[in-house]
Amino acid sequence: MTTDTARTDDTPTDAARTGATPTDVTPTDAVAAAGLRVLAEARRPDPGLAGPPPPLPGFAASGFNPLVADTADRCLRAHHGAPPAPGRTALLLASSDGDRATARAIDQSAEPGRRPAPLLFFRSNPNAVLGHIAARWGLTGPVVAISPARTVPGRVPQDALDLAALLLADGDADRVLVIAAEQGEDGGHAVAVLVTG
Amino acid sequence: MTGSTSSAHRPRGRPVVTGLGVLSSAGRGLGPLTEATAHGRTAFGPVTRFDVGARRTTRAALLPDDVPLAPTFPLARAVLDAVGQACRQAGLTAADGARTPVLLALHSDERTRSTTDAVAAGVRATWGTAGVTRVYTGACVAAATAVADAAALVAAGRHERVLVAAGHLVEPGVFAVFDAGRALARDGELRPFSAGRTGTLLGDAAAAVLVEAAPAAERRGAAVLARLAGWGRAGDAHHVCRPEPGGAGATRAVEAALARADVAPAEIGYVNANGTGSTLADQAEASALRRVFGRHLAELPVSSSKSVHGHALEASALLELAVTIGALGTGLLPVNASWLGPDPDVGLDLVLDGPRAARPRYALSLNSAFGGANTALLVAPA
Repeated sequence: MTTDTARTDDTPTDAARTGATPTDVTPTDAVAAAGLRVLAEARRPDPGLAGPPPPLPGFAASGFNPLVADTADRCLRAHHGAPPAPGRTALLLASSDGDRATARAIDQSAEPGRRPAPLLFFRSNPNAVLGHIAARWGLTGPVVAISPARTVPGRVPQDALDLAALLLADGDADRVLVIAAEQGEDGGHAVAVLVTG
Repeated sequence: MTGSTSSAHRPRGRPVVTGLGVLSSAGRGLGPLTEATAHGRTAFGPVTRFDVGARRTTRAALLPDDVPLAPTFPLARAVLDAVGQACRQAGLTAADGARTPVLLALHSDERTRSTTDAVAAGVRATWGTAGVTRVYTGACVAAATAVADAAALVAAGRHERVLVAAGHLVEPGVFAVFDAGRALARDGELRPFSAGRTGTLLGDAAAAVLVEAAPAAERRGAAVLARLAGWGRAGDAHHVCRPEPGGAGATRAVEAALARADVAPAEIGYVNANGTGSTLADQAEASALRRVFGRHLAELPVSSSKSVHGHALEASALLELAVTIGALGTGLLPVNASWLGPDPDVGLDLVLDGPRAARPRYALSLNSAFGGANTALLVAPA
């Protein structure tokens, strides 16, 4: 089992150690309303974490993707220990602003005299970082990205929970890893919850 | 069927399509698009919307001159045009609209929110909806994921109808990075599954479908254009942008779609393939089709209509669903245009030279995206 600050329903000592409860991340009524059970959670910032998330090879130009990848990784480790994850896990990324730094870099690529960076091609949409997580953990469920209109940093939007519940009820996934992330000026906020029906 | 798809739930609410609107390089409406794709009339030409002088590739499939872009919010207005076509065809009233969720697929960039707000204002004012319910930004499967979710909501009895819309306009930033990433065809033609293919080409599109429960459509007296018999979504678990060479995720997505409809591979009569013109992606997709269809593949007509209308990224799956529905309506399967010769690693029964007359009981529309995302939509004639 992991020693980081991610939490799982299998490891109550983690929650006790951080003093956190699942309601810090995902209000219980919202989870219950969606008919979901939380298997594990992770977030950033978190009192147990120092410094920025570790860099993600190939995604150096923006802090968004390391934020997403690290939070997802800690959540999955909290439940599964080490890769791969068994069964079919869907990935659902919910971000209102998305990867703004990369979006800006792509727009600027077309400016006169600029030489577009070839690596921007594979970072040109939010699915790329989800592909990194899926490959690392062997996640074979649906890969989905949405942009909710309003988000609260550190909270999973209700619509993302509703969509996770739909994916589970519809039968294409056994579990859904929901990641809510916003970059912001302060290093960003992310929360990941691994849920099942 | 594999065990992994056994839990794909069978649809109960019988989702159907009662309205369809589209703007594409073929023009406005389904008729011109169906005609162009059936006969392989490719729409690629020099990009005039912005400067492409510094690019290796300079061609795309843009909206024609008789479908001009609006000076403000051009993407939102194109989407609203498609929505208007779909809702008018379906005979949607404002009272119906008030209870209709709207799922929208768009590229994720700094304009996503303003485009969404403009689409929301338009659908609220004209069709009485509460706005845009959800925005999908998951690259080239964004629109197909939205359609699958709409079908799931209708099938489960959660909603009587769901409006799905999508839009993509060729713009300088994405064009520049696709060109820099050597994703665009160097020879200026999109040649899916062909020997000598060199990449994809981008295209404009806006499209919308009204997905409705068959009993609700019947009560309203709305004509059914096609049935959404099944759908599937699955991941490759392989790479940030490269497909799994054996097409594992696409295989699972197709198997899930077939399982939902309780349809055997031999019952599929046409595949509108993802077929981007990329060497690796086309090969992986052909591998997936071999795995699913086995010996039936030799007699299964396949084409990628991207060869005609280009790759519309987040809108591509809805555009290609429209092509598939159009082909089921006319009985003319679209041509896989610009084909130069066989690729020994592909081995598909491609529709070449001219439209193939056929009346499939079922057709598949397939899409794949970065992140190893795959979707399959199983469509049947009304």
